Amino acid sequence: MPPRVSNWGWTPAGRRRYLLILLWMGHGAWVLVGPRPGHLWSRLAGRLARPAEGLASRWEAWRTGRQDRARSLAQLQAENAALRAQVAALQMAEAQQAPRVAEAGEALKLLGLRQQIPLALVGARVIFSTRPEAFGGLILAGGRDRGFVPDQGVIAPGGVVGRLWSVGATQSKVLPADAPNASVGVMLARSRATGVLQGLGGGRALIRYLSNQEVVQVGEAVYTSGLDQVFPRGLLVGYVTDVEKGELELRVTVQLAAPLDRLHFVLVLPPQPPLEVQPPLLPQTAPAPASPRRTP
Amino acid sequence: MTRPAPSPLRQDLFCALALALVFLCAPFPRLQAVIHVVLVLALAPRPGAALRTALWAAAGGWALEGAARLYPHMGGTPWADMTVALLAAWIAGRWPVESWRGWLLRLAGLLLLQTALVHGAVRLASGPHPWGTGWAWALATAPAWAWAVWHLLGPVAPPRRP
Repeated sequence: MPPRVSNWGWTPAGRRRYLLILLWMGHGAWVLVGPRPGHLWSRLAGRLARPAEGLASRWEAWRTGRQDRARSLAQLQAENAALRAQVAALQMAEAQQAPRVAEAGEALKLLGLRQQIPLALVGARVIFSTRPEAFGGLILAGGRDRGFVPDQGVIAPGGVVGRLWSVGATQSKVLPADAPNASVGVMLARSRATGVLQGLGGGRALIRYLSNQEVVQVGEAVYTSGLDQVFPRGLLVGYVTDVEKGELELRVTVQLAAPLDRLHFVLVLPPQPPLEVQPPLLPQTAPAPASPRRTP
Repeated sequence: MTRPAPSPLRQDLFCALALALVFLCAPFPRLQAVIHVVLVLALAPRPGAALRTALWAAAGGWALEGAARLYPHMGGTPWADMTVALLAAWIAGRWPVESWRGWLLRLAGLLLLQTALVHGAVRLASGPHPWGTGWAWALATAPAWAWAVWHLLGPVAPPRRP
């Protein structure tokens, strides 16, 4: 039987045992001593805990920043949604008001044209257009009830439109100037040569009865001559787009100035207007005083 | 059936990791309490290595108190941790666990004992103080960390005697 080795000698196992007992009893004694000598250790522990404290503060700052960012992002998203709804509503309102705005702009232009021509012009709304069809025209709101008679000239701010072709009780049909059976007495701007405009369709017309000796340039303006007793002299009809010499006469093609396919309002001239009308003079304004008078 | 004991190096590495987590989890007191319990009750105890067990347990206790910094006189937690860890190591050497259920029940009992001992030691060192809820969190999460330690280390077996 081997001799029993004592664990309490100065052997490695014994030294570990002594160290363990010292450790355990030292802690126990330290606990029993109480809180009086603990300030230094608390200070040391505080220093040792600084990394963890810094980590905790950084973590808290990161959380706070994230919450702030999330809150601001949510607010921006809500604001964006509200602004999108407002923009959509405004676009809808603008789309609803666009035809009225266009008509208002056209009415303003008609008003300006009416002030430039010293004749009893009557405004009329275009309620329907059959222009895309062959021999199509414009239907005006107004007929005999407004005193319209056939062969009254019809103009727009852009230029000559045509003439009243047939007049009903409450509606009238306009024969546009580019219709094949339409004719308007015209005059070239530079040479003052006169002819008769005959429609070709599609907003174009041909000037007939112009001599080969006339000099006509492309881009030249064409005005009414007043000889047809439908339009007074000097109303814009269109611009020359092509000139060809024929055997007896020039073939002058004209692009009408009035947008015949986009008319909402027109002005109807009085029947058999005078050959030539003069635009009214601008009203003279009183001269401004040299120095403003001061009130006491 | 007795599971083989893990290598001391592996156990020390897990103890060191748990000790670092005790420091790093200072902003989360409940999680810190759970990791401290894991270190003291499940990772540190090793039969036949009482000094190593006591050192790791004391380190865990000092780490917890050092990170908490709430006590006017520290030292109660490390002393209680050493005591419970030495007791756990002696129990593991005397009655090795053979099943997962026994392992869990033993940890739960040691946890309650450690809670009471820590409270009493801190009361001796620093005076009256509230119980706190760290022990409850440790007890509630015991199945999770006990299962993890069971698979990482396996319950410690008695030392082989030549």
